[in-house]
Amino acid sequence: MTFKKFVLTSLLATAQLVWVMPVYAVPSFARQTGMACEACHTIYPQLTHFGRLFKANGYTLDNMQGTVHDISTDNKETLSLTGTPPISLMVQASETWLNKSLPDSTGSNGNAQNGTVAFPQQISLFYSGKIAPHLGAFIQLTYGNDSGQVGIDNTELRYANSIVTPNEQALIYGVSVNNNPTMQDLWNSTPAFGFPYAASNANVSPLAATQIDGTLGQDVAGMSVYALWRESWYGELGIYRSAKQGATNSTTGAAGPLDGSHSNVISGAAPYYRLAYEHQWGRSSLEVGLYGANFKLYPGGSTIDAPMSLTGPANEFNDFAQDFQYEFVDDRHIFTLSGTRIHESIKLNASLADGSKNDLTTSRLWGSYYYKRKIGGTVGYFSTTGSTNSSLYSVETTSGVVTSVNGSPDTKGWIAELNYIPWLNTKLALQYTAYNKFNGSSSNYDGFGRNASANNTLYLLLWVAY
Amino acid sequence: MKTNATIFSVAILMLLNINIAHAETINAHKTALQVAASTCSACHGEQGRSISPIFPNLAGQTATYLADQLKSFKSHTRADPDAVAYMWGIAGQLNDDLIQTLADYYSAQRPVTKSVADLAVVSRGEQIYINGVIADGVPPCATCHGPHGAGTDIFPRLAGQHAQYTLKQLNVIKNNLRNSAVMRNAILGLKENDMTAVAQYLQSMGM
Repeated sequence: MTFKKFVLTSLLATAQLVWVMPVYAVPSFARQTGMACEACHTIYPQLTHFGRLFKANGYTLDNMQGTVHDISTDNKETLSLTGTPPISLMVQASETWLNKSLPDSTGSNGNAQNGTVAFPQQISLFYSGKIAPHLGAFIQLTYGNDSGQVGIDNTELRYANSIVTPNEQALIYGVSVNNNPTMQDLWNSTPAFGFPYAASNANVSPLAATQIDGTLGQDVAGMSVYALWRESWYGELGIYRSAKQGATNSTTGAAGPLDGSHSNVISGAAPYYRLAYEHQWGRSSLEVGLYGANFKLYPGGSTIDAPMSLTGPANEFNDFAQDFQYEFVDDRHIFTLSGTRIHESIKLNASLADGSKNDLTTSRLWGSYYYKRKIGGTVGYFSTTGSTNSSLYSVETTSGVVTSVNGSPDTKGWIAELNYIPWLNTKLALQYTAYNKFNGSSSNYDGFGRNASANNTLYLLLWVAY
Repeated sequence: MKTNATIFSVAILMLLNINIAHAETINAHKTALQVAASTCSACHGEQGRSISPIFPNLAGQTATYLADQLKSFKSHTRADPDAVAYMWGIAGQLNDDLIQTLADYYSAQRPVTKSVADLAVVSRGEQIYINGVIADGVPPCATCHGPHGAGTDIFPRLAGQHAQYTLKQLNVIKNNLRNSAVMRNAILGLKENDMTAVAQYLQSMGM
């Protein structure tokens, strides 16, 4: 595999991950707390202020009587197992149409079918809820129709506790161990639980995405400490290490250690940080914040022709992002406006001899309205722009579609989604994604005559969780 | 000597009991404070002064009323939509001691004062609160809730409460979702615009 092909393969794999990153609300939380979905969500998976506190408190708020108990000699609870474990099931079924059919991959003159039925697109099994008095979990196993396999999805273990000051103000603090940077965050303006909350996996995904934007999801493990002061100020510091799934050491066949045969391995530990402030007034709340991480990645993926160990210079991806979220929550009307801008400085110290510097910027802005939690929708704008780099983005193939003829990562467009929620755990979505620009151009972006608008996608989704 | 020893033993036991009881009170208060500050506050605000008008202020509410409502949530005898969605789950986690300690805690907090823009509506609300609406068979609210809306015993404090919350509760009671027969009979004839007026007046009280 040449370097160019390797880069393309990696980018495509990661971009695909970003594009279909699923996010959910979990009925087992409702079962555990005895509270309906609306306590924690406006419409799932968007969190309310109470939902943010439930998460910050480690998913441990509990209305279930323990059936197995144990206590220590000083009368402290050492075990409390509920009669019903916090397990949930989620199913997504969908159909996807592209504006213009894809060419047949066999190279014949015909086209691929247009209209991909996914039944299911995904099935997920969750263990989400309290484990012990201050310990909770959000564990997700997902079967995807694209992989045809069951794999680990967003997963977090969280310890949380609180201190009340003498003047009765609360400091909630905790530790999160998770496998996707920002999945532990409390606001939906950050990537892991941001819009689109569900998307087609039978679409054409753009080439470029920043590392913190889901690219490393389920490929890393991180530990962070956080504190929330008076339900307003939030600070978090953490580190992430590579924790690849399904990867073995070629020499021993054991689950590790990682070596040069593995690609995009974090050098040491990547720092992660987050600072946010939320102000509430009336029915409204406004959050503004920043977050970021610095990933030094060994490209790895070496072959016999091009051996490459996990030493020496590493490619550096420095992500710095801002975000905001406005929420208006009333009994009849719910409105949210969210946005984030992620800037990534890239130094390809390992991949390119000149240590080429690049940058990539992703911006998203979306607004949602719901009436009586029954009907509503979201309109969102997205844009990714960055340095033109033929090594990164301009890869020749025989059929185009997923490439960029000019080596530019620029992709821009709109998403509009209509939702009908007949019951609080059932959502019907009709989503249209329109591209103004795709992989660098509006027209003939791949050099094979395909226009950006050819990838416009209509997506019909049934999403249930129990 | 035996008597002295017995008296001494009894005294020690009494002292221990007092200390244990005192320690239990402190622990109950500490637990209540923890629950109030890290869970209840998410909706009802710090010290029970809520920010969103969807959720009621609890600060200064009568302890009897608070304890009674928490028990009603826990036993599912109060079944308006918000009670079902939010409070059945929350109250189900509280034992009777914690309910009483929380009720005492919130009743001891400084009540909220609010401002109201529409003084004409407030004036109409004040008339209804003090005099009732005789033509519609609505008795004066002040009869039970007190001239200053401070409430007493089982009759809740209304002064300073969010108008939106009061209005919602009036409708919920009228629609017989709160198992509150006395209050329902009292407001059955109250018209929607009069409900709004009295809710606005109550929000303005305590200024």
